[in-house]
Amino acid sequence: MPPFSRGFHGRRRADVDPSRLPPGQYLTPDFPVLSAGPTPHTPLDEWSLTIDGAVDAAVSWSWEAFLALPTETFTVDIHCVTKWSKLDTTWTGVSVDTLLKDVETAADYVTAWSDGDYTTNVPLEDLTGGRAWVVHTYDAAPLEPEHGGPARLLVPHLYFWKSAKWLRGLTLTVQDEPGFWESVGYHNYGDPWREQRYWSD
Amino acid sequence: MTDLHTDGNGVAGLLEEILAVEVTTMVRKCQSCGDRQPIAAHRAYRGAGVVLRCPSCGDVAVRIGVHAEAVTVEWRGTYAIAQTGSGSP
Amino acid sequence: MTRRAPVVWRTATVRGVVAESPHARTLVLDVPEWPGHRAGQHVDLRLTAEDGYQAQRSYSIASAPELDALEITVELIDDGEVSPYLVEEVRPGDQFEVRGPIGGHFTWSVPDGGPLLLIGGGSGLVPLMSMLRHRAARRSEVEARILVSARGTEDALYRDELASLEPSAGLHVAWTFTRTPPPGWTGWARRVDAAMLAELGPGPDAGARSFVCGPTPFVERVAELLVEAGHDPRAIHAERFGPTGG
Repeated sequence: MPPFSRGFHGRRRADVDPSRLPPGQYLTPDFPVLSAGPTPHTPLDEWSLTIDGAVDAAVSWSWEAFLALPTETFTVDIHCVTKWSKLDTTWTGVSVDTLLKDVETAADYVTAWSDGDYTTNVPLEDLTGGRAWVVHTYDAAPLEPEHGGPARLLVPHLYFWKSAKWLRGLTLTVQDEPGFWESVGYHNYGDPWREQRYWSD
Repeated sequence: MTDLHTDGNGVAGLLEEILAVEVTTMVRKCQSCGDRQPIAAHRAYRGAGVVLRCPSCGDVAVRIGVHAEAVTVEWRGTYAIAQTGSGSP
Repeated sequence: MTRRAPVVWRTATVRGVVAESPHARTLVLDVPEWPGHRAGQHVDLRLTAEDGYQAQRSYSIASAPELDALEITVELIDDGEVSPYLVEEVRPGDQFEVRGPIGGHFTWSVPDGGPLLLIGGGSGLVPLMSMLRHRAARRSEVEARILVSARGTEDALYRDELASLEPSAGLHVAWTFTRTPPPGWTGWARRVDAAMLAELGPGPDAGARSFVCGPTPFVERVAELLVEAGHDPRAIHAERFGPTGG
């Protein structure tokens, strides 16, 4: 049992409805910036979002085409595996259901991939049914590069490493392919409510 | 634009949980660009876990998973261990 | 391969606190069975709250290896999680855990020789101070230059001690203030640049060992300036603090 540090509380607030916080999580007042690498800066005229892999035909949008898609504005809680949670975050983006509307596939899994060399894997059913978006606006302003702008994946019901920043594509796969963090021991699925942080959970 | 990275010095404690040796002076030859740099000079990024990247080309050198009861380390590239001659306590 | 004792968490008890500036404090720690350290090394520090919540940060060791206690100097970071506790709350008798000493690349001992070129930005001065305190404890005359970049006197650590060390043979202390120089200041008052480093010396042919420490942008800019001035990149040791929060 480590010694207690008298008077140390950390910054997290105690006055939060406990049913909003998954086990082991603490509330943060700010928005920590975590990253596996340097912030990419792809010019918007070189940016595209692609859905490919085990599909009948790949689909791709330029930035202008992506912005022209129907969007939703919604408020969700987000939970990071490093134990911070942020409640009531408001985003605007395109539902993944919209992106997959005309996509024919028999695949069950998705690898989300980003500028830089980041990937993360999610079951297809966790990205559909209104549970995931590709967002470009946070808190009514364009998503900042350090938080994943111009666009990132948002999958709030899973730990936030699944919400890939700087998203450039969703590759549908027949086999589940562990992504960047999953392949060094982070949980393959990542449900914060079952505290699925690591492979042994 | 400054990226929020530090360097291998700051993650040495974490790596030394697994290794019994001083890591910052270990020299790595990058499998992508061929450059040789000590771990101390590698850029460290903090995401879910920690990533060390080659300071010359930015390629991933080490990925560290920080778990409740364990630390997972994946190395890339070849390593040469440099004896500095000055030792550590 | 350099084998060493396993790095374990040890309980540190605060023996005393020293105010270094309005925003920084040195904590003097007793750590049972402390194995000793080399100047430039750091410790990982871990705090545990009563409900089990833990936070961990790294701090450079400020004290010379010759001292009988372990000292760290902590700078208050606005909105930090750990530094406000360490700078404003901690009192003698309090405890936390430390792990270390950690580091090998960013270390210097008198037998390593010089000439030494030490360049620190803000709290990057702390590990460099350990080196100079070690040099003084050994009464070494290894040629050493230290350049400290601070915003103003409020975040200029150890000014008096550095002034008292300077008359020692072979040591030159220089400051540059980037925002608010002290009244009557006639020295440098700008960010470190090529001209300043040229004036400070030594030149690239002196074979100096350089240690650069501070926030990441500062360290990378200064290291680049040294390389551009012709210093051997392999003799430039950098430690980036980064905005890791407090």
